[in-house]
Amino acid sequence: MMMLIRRFEERTYQEYTRPGQKIGGFCHLYSGQEAIAVGTAALFDTSRDYLVNGYRCHGHSLALGMDPRAAMAELFGKSTGCSKGKGGSMHLFDARVGNMGGHGIVGGQLPLAVGMGFTQSYTKTGGVTFVFMGDGAVNQGTHNESLNLASLYKLPVIFVVENNGVAMGTQVERSSAETDLAKRGSGYAMPHWNVDGNDIDTVIAEFGKAVERGRTGKGPSYISANTFRFRGHSMSDPMKYRSKDQIERARQRDPIVMYEARLLEHALATQEQIDQLHEETAAEINEATTQADADPHPQLNERFDDVLAEQYPYQPK
Amino acid sequence: MQFREALRSAMTEEMERDDRVFLMGEEVAQYNGAYKISEGMLEKFGDKRVIDTPISEAGFAGLGVGAAMTGLRPIIEFMSWSFSLVCMDQIVNNAANVRYMSGGQFKVPIVFRGGNGIAHQLAATHSHRMESVFARIPGLIVVAPSTPAEAKGLLKSSIRCDDPVIFLESEKMLAETGSVPDEAEYLLPLGVAKVEREGSDVTIVSYGRPLQRVVRTAVEALAADHGIDAELIDARTLRPLDTETILASIRKTHRCVIVDEDWGYCGMGSGILYKLQKPAFDDLDAPIEYVHSDEIPVPFSHPLEEAMLPSVDRIVSAVREVCYR
Repeated sequence: MMMLIRRFEERTYQEYTRPGQKIGGFCHLYSGQEAIAVGTAALFDTSRDYLVNGYRCHGHSLALGMDPRAAMAELFGKSTGCSKGKGGSMHLFDARVGNMGGHGIVGGQLPLAVGMGFTQSYTKTGGVTFVFMGDGAVNQGTHNESLNLASLYKLPVIFVVENNGVAMGTQVERSSAETDLAKRGSGYAMPHWNVDGNDIDTVIAEFGKAVERGRTGKGPSYISANTFRFRGHSMSDPMKYRSKDQIERARQRDPIVMYEARLLEHALATQEQIDQLHEETAAEINEATTQADADPHPQLNERFDDVLAEQYPYQPK
Repeated sequence: MQFREALRSAMTEEMERDDRVFLMGEEVAQYNGAYKISEGMLEKFGDKRVIDTPISEAGFAGLGVGAAMTGLRPIIEFMSWSFSLVCMDQIVNNAANVRYMSGGQFKVPIVFRGGNGIAHQLAATHSHRMESVFARIPGLIVVAPSTPAEAKGLLKSSIRCDDPVIFLESEKMLAETGSVPDEAEYLLPLGVAKVEREGSDVTIVSYGRPLQRVVRTAVEALAADHGIDAELIDARTLRPLDTETILASIRKTHRCVIVDEDWGYCGMGSGILYKLQKPAFDDLDAPIEYVHSDEIPVPFSHPLEEAMLPSVDRIVSAVREVCYR
């Protein structure tokens, strides 16, 4: 799955930058951060858990089982997209599996997660809500309000900061007075800790502790999953704020490379099997992209659909 | 029944009917409501369904949206709609957009309610008329009752509605009394205006607090002092606006005056005017008049505050102008 996400994102990069660009709007790639989404999916119960996200949402959506064609079609603005071409890259939704969406406003998703956790607590499902944010979101006012509400009401919300070190182009050191972002979860009477977000086994083990807390009614957790994104903030960003050195060091800690090495080391896979998997995922993404490309644009009159759930005048039942 | 009792009775009945409905807001539970609207509800329903919040409007407004997206039916009380300015993103980007942006994957059955507009000497920060801010947002329903009966019937319908409803009350209306039908299921439709008084000379369109504060008095004064027989329309729902009822009235009277307490430029009445101007053009014998507040921040001083608002005199003058008498 990490490979699939990487292939998807790198293909997205190509499609966005090639002449006759098929992907419009803002587009934020997840390359380098895959272990976090995929580790989460390993713990996720689609029958009762929710995941709510910021705008860097391709990886989590694929990890929760979104068809790459539906994701790519959404990026292309096609009617077969997961949001029928009305959401785009920043707003991938898949309600059937509890994927409650990518949200475009930094920090705007945090109160929503508290509400989803509220429902889980109100209806006693034992479900948990994962909410993902970047290191930029910790400086929004909703961060304070949401952490406090979730802990005050003891809701099963797992706050995950995907700390890739830069909010767009502003390094954590220039945006957060406290640079240990796990500590930004202090003062709310909930556990808060740092996790190596590039090591999928660590992610599963550490996030698992938060899931256990949530499922057993002990309340929220706050995790800073420290990682690195290989691509710019969005497609227009050449990443001049990263040194070559930094990027080279990060490449060595590529979550996919690290995991492959572990599989080989423990003889859980052979190089041939890994190579074959790379080829298969490449083919899968190629096919999804070709299909999405051939898919139709929405009919123009579809723009009026899905604004409201009821007909008006509304006669209550 | 008092306006506040009508609101309470609507919420109570709907919470008895459907256990997915809950009430959340600042001081709604232990304090019994900042304006005693939810008095006794904590005792009746318990703290799982009547929930006090910290002063975190963005937090609990968004909490409500998230809960609505996942199957509950929240009633979120704002102590004042002026405070919604700090949680605009949750209402506009999340409540209103999430259904559309997800290609229809979610319903957002939530009611945001509270006191709107100018109360009494609360100065500029606490006196915002928010109707035009929300009524321009696709994905929202905006409701403004002007009587206790409407408060009950429209609130019950709003709670049952599967779309996000902005429900605009007024602190100054809460003690107002009026008869409320004693039916088990007293429900009023959303998106339907009410012809409150039939008349033949001019159509007056208003809603909510301005209707209760001055417009009804002005209509009586017009009849008594000027022999002008006004047809009075209570819009009740501001989005979607029931233009049919208003246009049918204009076809009869050929004259129209809109009254609200908003600022004129881009105000609620400007939006109503935009909806009427073209379809009513051939039926009008005079340009539509719009009586609104002065375009200044709301002053604290009582005489200044009164002076900025539409008065009976201003309404009477505007009506006489469109009637050419």
